[in-house]
Amino acid sequence: MLERTRELARSWLQKKEVDAIFGLRNKGGYLAPYLFNTEDELADLSISNQYRICHTCRPAKKNILSLMQARDPKLRIGVVCKGCDERALIELAKRSQLDLERIKILGVACTAEEAAECECERPYPGNLLVGDKVAGHSGHPGIDELLKKDIQQRFEFWCQQLGKCIKCYGCRNACPVCFCTDCKMEQELFVKVGRLPPEVPMFQFIRLIHIADKCTGCGECEKACPSNIPLTLITKLLKHDMKELFDYEAGLSVDNESPILLTLDAMPLRDGAGHGG
Amino acid sequence: MDNFEPKLVGFCCNWCSYTGADLAGTSRLKYPPNVRVIRVMCSGRVGPEMVMKAFASGADGVLVLGCHIGDCHYVYGNHRTKKRMAVLKRMIGYLGIDPRRLRLEWVSAGEGAKFAEVVGEFTKQIKELGPKQQPVAS
Ligand code: SF4
Ligand code: SF4
Ligand code: SF4
Ligand code: FES
Repeated sequence: MLERTRELARSWLQKKEVDAIFGLRNKGGYLAPYLFNTEDELADLSISNQYRICHTCRPAKKNILSLMQARDPKLRIGVVCKGCDERALIELAKRSQLDLERIKILGVACTAEEAAECECERPYPGNLLVGDKVAGHSGHPGIDELLKKDIQQRFEFWCQQLGKCIKCYGCRNACPVCFCTDCKMEQELFVKVGRLPPEVPMFQFIRLIHIADKCTGCGECEKACPSNIPLTLITKLLKHDMKELFDYEAGLSVDNESPILLTLDAMPLRDGAGHGG
Repeated sequence: MDNFEPKLVGFCCNWCSYTGADLAGTSRLKYPPNVRVIRVMCSGRVGPEMVMKAFASGADGVLVLGCHIGDCHYVYGNHRTKKRMAVLKRMIGYLGIDPRRLRLEWVSAGEGAKFAEVVGEFTKQIKELGPKQQPVAS
């Protein structure tokens, strides 16, 4: 699969379909996103479900790809994308964070093992060029457990979990679709500077509700968390809610605007979902 | 719980619901005094973190009141409110805040009676639910 990906990337460079390839580079066993400018360099191109290619650069508070695009307004980049990577690019493009017209997606499927490891519901990109689709991972013991709890028990569960937060902002910084320059998690009105643990559940609530219509399901937030807070329990539940309430899934197409931003006429709320429980 | 007097926050949009609340007052309609009204320009201005801030500040229930669909002075503001509240209700439920503590209603400028009725009903419901648990770390 890796060979096939390198081959394609090489041919895109050769045929000048793109000016450079953006993907993961393996340097002495360490993987990191890299812009490959020559065919030779592509020998170090790597694929891994352990890394996302696309992050918001802090403190520039801009996506790495959009920074490159801004520096060179003509640059066409081929991007090696797993499912979650592609979904991130699409969500960012929807919100004018990068120009997808100048990006060519080299989509790679993940293996069943990788999907299981990531607990991924959609382990392949839309623009799949390398590998075969495997079934997504569904069902989640943690979610079942949470939903079995009554309101009081849920509250206690989160007090305990979120009470471990050291406010490192790792979850936000790792998230490919958290890109606001003026983050509400830093506003004194909602989150007091210097208070530890932060307000429960306000601090994480802000981020989680903001990404409800953007989350790519990559799991980076939870992986980044040094306190092992099960953040994806909520991201997963919200993804299901978006599906149930609006038949919407983030990251599938730039034309799929967030239902929250559309009118009720353009995207109705499904019956009975507006009020009550 | 008999003598529990819930603290409620009511976000009222300037153009309909706030005027409706005013009308309830000038018409001398009786309704429980538990709601602290916060005037916003449109129900669409009520961000999820504002609702959470109300809960975090000790509210036992939060009302969001806006113009009826079709009457929003910013045309589609309340369309977003309706969708946002639907997601928000589920979200607070996962976190351990009873979704019934958050309620969205449309109250027009002429509906003083409806305002009084909504506040009365909501107060009754929150009385039944009892005080909201306070975060350990607050
Ligand atoms: S989250 Fe899904 S698409 Fe992303 S690496 Fe894991 S299995 Fe692949
Ligand atoms: S799983 Fe976490 S890091 Fe990934 S997109 Fe969703 S919220 Fe962001
Ligand atoms: S990564 Fe974990 S500890 Fe750090 S801010 Fe996020 S929830 Fe808190
Ligand atoms: S102005 Fe009343 S809901 Fe928008």
